[in-house]
Amino acid sequence: MGIEEKVPEGILTTSLDSVVNWGRANSTWPLLFGLACCAMEMIATGTARHDIARYGSELFRASPRQADLMIVSGRVSNKMAPVIKRIYDQMLAPKWVIAMGICASAGGPFNNYAIIQGVDKIIPVDVYVPGCPPRPESLLYAMDMLRAKQRRETIGAGRKVEEPLAVDEIMPLGV
Amino acid sequence: MPLDVAPVIRSYETQRTLNPPGIPALAPPPEGETEDIRRIAGRFGEDIPAAGLHHGNQVVYAQPGQLKALATFLRDDPQLQYETLIDVTSVDRSELPLDGEARFQTIYQFRSYSRNQHLTVVTDCRSGTEGNGTSPHVDSLTSVYRGAEWPEREVFDLMGIRFDGHPDPRRILMPKNWPNHPLQKQAPLGGEEVPFTFTWDDPEFDTLGTQILAAESVAPDLPPGMSRQNMVINMGPHHPSTHGVLRLVVELDGERVVSIDPDLGFLHSGFEKTGENKRYKDFVYYTDRMDYLSSMSNNLGYCLTVEQMLGLEIPERAQVIRVIMAEMQRIASHLFWLATHVLDVSGTGMSLLMYATRERERILDLFEMACGARLTVSYIRIGGVWQDLPDAFVAELKDFLRLMPQKISEYEAMVTEAPLWQERLKGVGHVSAEDALAMGLTGPMLRGSGVDWDLRRDRPYSGYEEYTFEVPTRDSGDCYGRFTLRLEEMRQSVRILEQAVDNLPSGLYRSNNRKVALPPRAELDVSMEALIHHFKLMTEGFHVEPGFFYHGIESSKGELGFFIYSDGSAKPYRLHVHGPSFNNLYAIDHISRGEMLSDVVTNIGSIDIVLGEVDR
Repeated sequence: MGIEEKVPEGILTTSLDSVVNWGRANSTWPLLFGLACCAMEMIATGTARHDIARYGSELFRASPRQADLMIVSGRVSNKMAPVIKRIYDQMLAPKWVIAMGICASAGGPFNNYAIIQGVDKIIPVDVYVPGCPPRPESLLYAMDMLRAKQRRETIGAGRKVEEPLAVDEIMPLGV
Repeated sequence: MPLDVAPVIRSYETQRTLNPPGIPALAPPPEGETEDIRRIAGRFGEDIPAAGLHHGNQVVYAQPGQLKALATFLRDDPQLQYETLIDVTSVDRSELPLDGEARFQTIYQFRSYSRNQHLTVVTDCRSGTEGNGTSPHVDSLTSVYRGAEWPEREVFDLMGIRFDGHPDPRRILMPKNWPNHPLQKQAPLGGEEVPFTFTWDDPEFDTLGTQILAAESVAPDLPPGMSRQNMVINMGPHHPSTHGVLRLVVELDGERVVSIDPDLGFLHSGFEKTGENKRYKDFVYYTDRMDYLSSMSNNLGYCLTVEQMLGLEIPERAQVIRVIMAEMQRIASHLFWLATHVLDVSGTGMSLLMYATRERERILDLFEMACGARLTVSYIRIGGVWQDLPDAFVAELKDFLRLMPQKISEYEAMVTEAPLWQERLKGVGHVSAEDALAMGLTGPMLRGSGVDWDLRRDRPYSGYEEYTFEVPTRDSGDCYGRFTLRLEEMRQSVRILEQAVDNLPSGLYRSNNRKVALPPRAELDVSMEALIHHFKLMTEGFHVEPGFFYHGIESSKGELGFFIYSDGSAKPYRLHVHGPSFNNLYAIDHISRGEMLSDVVTNIGSIDIVLGEVDR
């Protein structure tokens, strides 16, 4: 229908946003960056049984310049906070952050002098994953939610998400 | 907004708990004597204020002026031969009823491997007014035992005790501009207010979830002893092969390593301070998160320490279940070490990571069967284990044990004889037996240098004396020796597991002592008494007699020790963890000197560190 009837066979039309988001959502490269216990589950997510490669995210990059996604996997200490902030700043936009586990989300059991109560105090977070540590399946679900978010972004001015999303809207349970 | 590091004091944190009369109390003097104590008392006489046995450990109190002489005597006397200083810690007694005694004490754990003896030495610190400066101080033992360097730096960092004659008196864990010494009792626990209805008006919550702090970093210093004539490079804390958030400052002459200064503390989580604010039973959950690759061993080490302070008997079935779990955890931890070690050294060898984690997942499945968790298990509790093994567990474990030996041979076939692998490991990271002892190394680092010592065999706990197994050692002292040693340890663990699973007795899985261990859930429905015990344990916990105790177990990384100073209340007055990775990592500078930069990566993998345990 429409313009596609006029052009030669094999050509599809779509919006630029959809194409770019399709690419971003299906090859989100995480940063090779482990902090604490959750990092072990992050590695488990990358290995054969859970196989994060199914989602195009198996390429953990050690350089922040090549990474799209920072998975903050563990507790963030006061000494580590400036380092995380700097690594995040070094990542190229567009970039996303998953706070993996309760420590990265809100400090977890370590409500004390050493630990920052949530990595969202120093960098913006896209998806929070509960658990101590979250199972690999939880992390994969979080990546699903992130993909849903990525698909709704625009390469236009400000890269703003149109409206706040309800959880059901992003990923209805049972889908 | 800069990161505000100054801790806030809140009113509810300073409230004291209700204690029975006479509590808190100081540790009682030790009683009785042994051969070693007679020998020490004979040499030092009046300079030893007290000596004897305390909770079965040999304890000697020393005058601060005689500490160095005592340590030298312990090491050099042919009848004593305490080759190693295992641990240094300290206690701030300002909240105890002191009667003119010194506020700070340092506590040393000495070990004689050749004579299988353990000795605790306690020294009062000189108060600040006696010397220059204002902080308490005591003589450093680094000139006698080289391995005292890092533990003493840690004591200075966290407790503020200066060590006279220490070669490198810097902070080790906290940032260099940190305002206090967190383990001193007047330093608050810190943290953030938790939003409850009664704290809802706290202005802190106005910015909750919306604040983005600057988190400005402090410019790093050139570590002492390094020269700008050479190239100084930074490795970590964000680096793929430092096994976590470890920062190494490496001084290079061309590609050769001149010296390494590790910078720790990027994962410092305040475990010890938190432990002082938790009841005994509640700290079990924290131990999981220290060495997160061997949670079961951490649980076991902590529970054994508390149980021995209580004098608690553990049922036989619980003992065997504990051994099963600890050995499975050793295999899982070694599998992960193998996977990451091969990945580090080769740079791209993902296949062994996939194979080794495949078997590790099976162990995690078994953990999940037993307790519902994969990683942070909290399965071993004070008094026994959390719940009994499910029926299908034993069959599943037997299946795994049938499979495991051939899988270990499979890994060996992939790397052990490979010429490239041998090239990268043989002769690299060499540490002699004398150096290993002087530096206080434990576990595979010690056995890889030819010292035949394993706590499971030589100071057995949890009934390890009933199992037949060999303690492998290697004389080469290099990375290759430690590599083959750990593979052999996995085989021996399989052997222990086979014996344990065949002789699993029936009976209680948790102690029947209701004053310490929770009653089973089913009993709560029918017994009022059980309900009362449950309520009392959950709200108040149990009290531990005043005193202190150190106990070490053989974790997968080495000797994992817990030191608890009890004041008689329901919380530990001081809780210290001796992490094997911390002491073993001290060797990285020694073993890497003169080698290539790429060998540093091999050495880190070979030491097998977990940063959660190094930084605590």
